[in-house]
Amino acid sequence: MGARGVMTLALPWRRVDADRLFLAVCLLVPLAALGLFFVYPLATIVLRSVSEPGGGYGLGNYARILGAQTFWRAAAHSLVMSGAVTALAVLFGLLVAFALTRCKIPGRALIAGAVALPLIAPSLVQGLGLIFLLGRNGLVSRVFGEVNIYGLSGLVIANGLYALPQAALIIAAALRSADARVYEAAEVLGAPGWRQFLDITLPNIKFGLLSAAFVVFTVTITDFGNAATIGGDYSLLATEIYNQVVGQMNFNLGAVVGIMLLLPTILAFYLERVAAQRQLGMMSEAALPLVPTFTPRRDIPVGIAAALVALLPLLVVGVVVYGSFVWLWPYRFDLTLRHYAVKVAGGYDPLWTTVEISALAALAGTVLIFALGIALVRLPRNVAKPIYFVCMLPASVPGLVLGLAYIFAFNAPGTPLAFLYGTAALIAICNAVHYWTQGFLTTMTGLRRVPATLEESAACLGAALPRVVRDVVGPSIAPTLVSVFFFLFTQSMVTLSAVIFLVTASVSVASVSIMRLDEAGFVSQAAAYATCTMVIVVVAMGMMQLCLRLVQRRR
Amino acid sequence: MHLQLDHIRKTFGAVTALDDISFTATAPEFICLLGPSGCGKTTLLRLIAGLSAPDSGNMRLDGLELARIPARQRGFGIVFQAYSLFPNMTVAANVGYGLRIRGVPADAVKARVAALLDLVQLAHLAARYPFELSGGQQQRVALARAVAVDPKLLLLDEPLSALDAKVRLELRAELRDLQQRLGILTLMVTHDQEEALSLADRIVCMQAGRIAQIGTPDDLYHRPASRFVAEFVGLSNLIELESVRRLAPKLLDGAAPGHVACIRPEDVTIISGGSGAQVHQVEFLGSVSRLHLDWTGGRLIAEQPGRTTLAAGSAVAVELRRCTWVREA
Repeated sequence: MGARGVMTLALPWRRVDADRLFLAVCLLVPLAALGLFFVYPLATIVLRSVSEPGGGYGLGNYARILGAQTFWRAAAHSLVMSGAVTALAVLFGLLVAFALTRCKIPGRALIAGAVALPLIAPSLVQGLGLIFLLGRNGLVSRVFGEVNIYGLSGLVIANGLYALPQAALIIAAALRSADARVYEAAEVLGAPGWRQFLDITLPNIKFGLLSAAFVVFTVTITDFGNAATIGGDYSLLATEIYNQVVGQMNFNLGAVVGIMLLLPTILAFYLERVAAQRQLGMMSEAALPLVPTFTPRRDIPVGIAAALVALLPLLVVGVVVYGSFVWLWPYRFDLTLRHYAVKVAGGYDPLWTTVEISALAALAGTVLIFALGIALVRLPRNVAKPIYFVCMLPASVPGLVLGLAYIFAFNAPGTPLAFLYGTAALIAICNAVHYWTQGFLTTMTGLRRVPATLEESAACLGAALPRVVRDVVGPSIAPTLVSVFFFLFTQSMVTLSAVIFLVTASVSVASVSIMRLDEAGFVSQAAAYATCTMVIVVVAMGMMQLCLRLVQRRR
Repeated sequence: MHLQLDHIRKTFGAVTALDDISFTATAPEFICLLGPSGCGKTTLLRLIAGLSAPDSGNMRLDGLELARIPARQRGFGIVFQAYSLFPNMTVAANVGYGLRIRGVPADAVKARVAALLDLVQLAHLAARYPFELSGGQQQRVALARAVAVDPKLLLLDEPLSALDAKVRLELRAELRDLQQRLGILTLMVTHDQEEALSLADRIVCMQAGRIAQIGTPDDLYHRPASRFVAEFVGLSNLIELESVRRLAPKLLDGAAPGHVACIRPEDVTIISGGSGAQVHQVEFLGSVSRLHLDWTGGRLIAEQPGRTTLAAGSAVAVELRRCTWVREA
């Protein structure tokens, strides 16, 4: 071992302080951002809801809202619609997830892709598709006579399609955590397939089902895109806020409705977290993955049913793309590009602005979340826990409420931050905050999967914290960060609810342009604009696969 | 190198993980921290590594207090049970990592890495990634990486536990060989008493956060200090004072109240055709046969070299040749 003595190189003492400084920056910068762009706006909306028109504070706004019949009607409508969607989406989500994870059927990737389509489309697309099919000038209406799709039935279908992939994803994840040995034991004990489903599968995924139900309920009760396109006269809480604020300039009343909307989502969100934690305790590390074998009696009916369910989003999204190329729906089916010459203000400028906003939101969000995660896993549990809690909150705040809060915080006369209002940067920040929780949870899961011994080995070898992050943590978690980046990017591309309050005449986004075109009656142009947005999202997803392949080369 | 631990104490909430741990070790000793799971041995190793801090007590290396020195500046080598190679680096990059951190010139790193990979017989795998290696090969790389920086202290946290039985034996011999050659003061955590007996110069046997006994393998096997050590290290027959007085009075020398007689299986002589005991079960282990006997004083384990003609049910007489009196608790 000739090289003895090389190591007499002393490791400098001051690195300790550098490590502390690095941790402090990782912790404080994201926290400051959350404080300024999440906690502060939310505090102002609460304050505005108790501000009396004549000055001073009181519960007058609440009294006025709670005394108004329109509010109670909208609240009842919202509950009925979201309840119906929740029941349907969980049922069909279970069907699709079961077919994908537990059945051996051909074309699983096709079914999964078709069901996931609404995730990559602006949330108005389901509404647009239904209008093309079942609207006053819809294909079906032309053949079978007038169908009134505007209202509850249209909302349930559109929101159901929107929520189905989210429900299916959550339930599929629960179904995937199965232990083959349990089923083998049941098989040996003589339990038939349906008994195994009732006695093992369902109890094992009950928290997954609950979780899916809460998520579906939350995203649909707060959805604005479908409510705006296909809601018709069926008033909902989401449209009520928009009407109070944009239609009647009643900002304080809008704030009250926003807080009313916050209540059910916070409750659903809290129950979902409790359920998720219960689920976590049930997993076994030694579990053997379940590999489905072909069982005709189960797989043929389930496969056909799942394929039929998958056909619906394919049809609805497909008809929007097709409709954008048709000369005059539904009278003249010659193909044309004329709808791509959009007549809305700004033309395609908002689309390119959206790309910039989305890239900025994704970059800022990913960097901040990663930095915070690095700091959080190194903090004592009792310090990390409240921060964790704050990071869970954005998911429970409806986009509309967040957007409204931004108006109060950044568009009020006299705030030093007013210069941010009407900029693309503020929309980007709003999007990063809006989707913070999902990105945060994914990143934390990824960070926890980095074996502690890896970081400890690097530390014992003399690596300072920034170096551990660069050499060890970074490479291990790169695939997770790529996923988080593109998740934030695609969500920012298609979101409508929060940004609707933040756009101005000069700075606007694609989903708002689609809404305006639809409102103005240019449905085909709205479809063309939506198609362009979807193309960008699909390209982004392709880039994600490319990036993932690149960073996973060595695994 | 001289490591000195004084009255180390560590608690996790209400649980006392380590209580009043004191011992010293001097290079080139090989020390094993031995004990059942949950006894605090890994916690102690992590304190020494600097990966967590004790609540009270002192740790000194050559007189230098370690408490305020973070892990990355202690200059120790560490090998974990598994999964501790950097997956994104080749074998050579893994071994050279500590040197690169210390700013050693690339040529010198290359030469040192080559020498170390020769030493652990993995020179031909230098360009591979960890996932392309077997478990035994990965642990050899981890070992080379740990000693590459010429550590003042080598810390091993159950390095052989994740390996197959045969690989474990091979690597055990290589580990001892490498440690002797480099003369590094080494502390190894293990729950495997056989591994500790075969590797260690001295064993620190731990029980519920305290040191039960410190001594050479010979001490622990032949002169266990307590019932716990006697039962944990090797097989033993533990016989109450009353039974010894009645059935084997010549062993009473050294007996004291609160002590039990510890008789190792090889110290039980079996006389076939006698009376007083009956063979309950015979285990054939290759080089020895282990017999479980029903004896007037209770169940006895005896070992005989090679094959035995005795079978379950045979009546035999037993003679207890030698014992050590150990504390009950």
